[in-house]
Amino acid sequence: MNQSTLWTGLSAMALAGVLWVQAALAAPTAPAVSPEALNLAEHIYREGTLPGGAPLRGLRSEGVVLEGALAACVNCHRRSGLGEIEGGINVPPVTGDRLMLPAVVAVGDSSTPHAQRFASNRPAYDAAALARAIRDGVAPDGRAFSTLMPRYRLGESAMQALVGYLLHLGTGVQPGVEGDLLHFATIVTPEADPVSRDAMIAVLEKFFAQKNVLIGGASRPMRTARTVAYRVATRWQLHVWRLTGDPTGWGAQLDDYLRREPIVAVVSGIGGVHWQPVHAFCERQAVPCLFPNVQVPVVSERDFYPLYFSRGVLLEADLLAGALMLGHADLPVAAGARGSVRQIYRADDVGLAGASALADASRSGGRSVVSTALSGADGVAALRRAVAAAGPGDDLVLWLRPADLASLPEHPPMGAQVFVAGLMAGLESAPLPTAWRQVAKLSYPVDLPDNRRVRMNFPERWFQVARIPITDERIQVDTYIACAILSEAIGHMQDNFARDYLVERIENLLSHRLVNGYYPRLSLAPGQRFASKGGYLVRFGGPGPTDIVLERGWRTP
Amino acid sequence: MASTTNRKVSALHSLLAMALFALAGWVGPAARTVSATPAVRRTEALYDLHEIRLKRQDGQEVDLASELGDGRVVFLNFIYTSCTTTCPLSSQVFSSFQRRLGAQAARVHLVSISIDPEQDTPERLRSYAAGYSAGAGWQFYTGSVAASIGAQRAFDVYHGDKMNHVPVVFVRGAGAQQWIRLEGLVSPDALYREYQSQQSKQPRTVRRRTSHAV
Repeated sequence: MNQSTLWTGLSAMALAGVLWVQAALAAPTAPAVSPEALNLAEHIYREGTLPGGAPLRGLRSEGVVLEGALAACVNCHRRSGLGEIEGGINVPPVTGDRLMLPAVVAVGDSSTPHAQRFASNRPAYDAAALARAIRDGVAPDGRAFSTLMPRYRLGESAMQALVGYLLHLGTGVQPGVEGDLLHFATIVTPEADPVSRDAMIAVLEKFFAQKNVLIGGASRPMRTARTVAYRVATRWQLHVWRLTGDPTGWGAQLDDYLRREPIVAVVSGIGGVHWQPVHAFCERQAVPCLFPNVQVPVVSERDFYPLYFSRGVLLEADLLAGALMLGHADLPVAAGARGSVRQIYRADDVGLAGASALADASRSGGRSVVSTALSGADGVAALRRAVAAAGPGDDLVLWLRPADLASLPEHPPMGAQVFVAGLMAGLESAPLPTAWRQVAKLSYPVDLPDNRRVRMNFPERWFQVARIPITDERIQVDTYIACAILSEAIGHMQDNFARDYLVERIENLLSHRLVNGYYPRLSLAPGQRFASKGGYLVRFGGPGPTDIVLERGWRTP
Repeated sequence: MASTTNRKVSALHSLLAMALFALAGWVGPAARTVSATPAVRRTEALYDLHEIRLKRQDGQEVDLASELGDGRVVFLNFIYTSCTTTCPLSSQVFSSFQRRLGAQAARVHLVSISIDPEQDTPERLRSYAAGYSAGAGWQFYTGSVAASIGAQRAFDVYHGDKMNHVPVVFVRGAGAQQWIRLEGLVSPDALYREYQSQQSKQPRTVRRRTSHAV
């Protein structure tokens, strides 16, 4: 930002502060609406479906008609109703708490920074004015809206329900907010690896402690002349929710935790094969959940609240499927020489999910699949038998951790291609025997070591200063990045900690980030729930023990 | 008196808040207010489209310059399929414009290039196209992140992030070099008028070509 822009902004804010003083803040109250009407209106707002199932229709100027989901209010005003700036277009908030106040207040109200420039001096809305705005596209003072805002023809009861819904939006309590104190939780399932779990918790605890020391404890929250706190400085409290027993009981345990400890959001979580109960909890309870470390996420991008850094082993399965030429014909292979896809994984580890996804893809690509699940201490013998069974033309796929890779026989099977799921194996540090290193290809769903060195510098220095020993670098860096993303999003929300708004802020802000640790890019949008979307295929090569070369460039399966 | 002091304090707080906000680095692009429809800004420009390789919605790798040089009038915009604010409007406008062209649609190439290429696979683009009833002359393009950024830079619409994109339509007549750049929320009618004005220039181009051939 150059200086003049900054000063323009600063004077705008100064003016805003003055306007805030002048505005008479009458406490607005939403008119009573039945739960049934609110439910009907939610379908109109979010899906563009009218009571009875007919599609909502909106008319833009010059005859462009929008219908159904395309006409839904949520597209622009978002689920929170707080609007956004996209494409240089400012979509104003349509939440009751704002609509019922004169817009002059919104000028200085930094709780919706994206609405700062919505300085229209409009009078407050009431139900009738709001219905007119929706129907005819005019503000209470008679000014016409932009062409972007459609004009909606709604029946009397549908209009009444929608108006009631809007006037209610944003007027409820914000769970997990106690004055300047925000509550967050992290979730640990019994399947989590103890070293990774402790590494993750250490980063979270330190980040929260630093946040409170550096900001919350040292300065008083800023207040406007109306003594409405901006809460620019918030203190954060972390709750560690440890689950026990069978996955079937986790949902109830999480509900119970949430009842006792209301939170704004879940930041990070760690487990193993089963994540569905946690994912379902986030969606059921409408809790934003930012998951950097989940290896088997639930792929359901229509869900709103769970956000993942990546599809984990499922992404690797797709990358490997591509490498096996199921979808792409970019690796040369002798025709007619294709044997089976032979996969080896631990029965109780996340490779199971990856292997299962790759088996499906292989079968639909016409390949036969042989799966070997290792379990317990006799795993090593079973591993060697499975390797020995592979022959020329086969593709051997290893979904194994370093300990198992170190137990491989000295030589890989003759004439078979060898693929290794990179993240489980420890990426370039995978302890493969020398002869395997010459033939193995690794799925590599993170940035290449040379590229990420600069981006890792920042988190690594932080660990150094925070005196956190590196015990599981990737987990720790990803957890740190998740904390940083949360912190930035919360900072941008300033005084409005509505859960839906947090998800929307993260969606919009994520791709601005440059420091993403292991990932070349992180990006989300409505309907996108996996921030890093692709990966490389690499093999070992070069003088150093961890030197790798590209087998195939970054692909998004 | 007390009130003046209050105002000063308040202004100071606001300044501070704004400074923090600016320091946080989250200041978005200048935004237009929604209560007034911004006028469309029309300029002309030359763009260098060398060596931009994209992937069409049918999976075919193409060179952008030759893809646009098949003798049709080109209408080009940038979109992404997850965008819910302005892109749907841009796509509706293209859709209405293509319908409006009727039989003349064969003379027009509508081109939409994704600015979120990692998400917008050819498959997603095909289903997006179907959602807007795109006819044969309206094609969608994706590619690597670098290629998409290359295309955005070539047309001078790269703003660093997909959320910062602005609605622009580029128009180029058949055989012409010069592009018309329409910035703002353009209506299907405005596009049709551009098309007509391109058509009125068309005969000269055709005649010149014919004389060359003879």
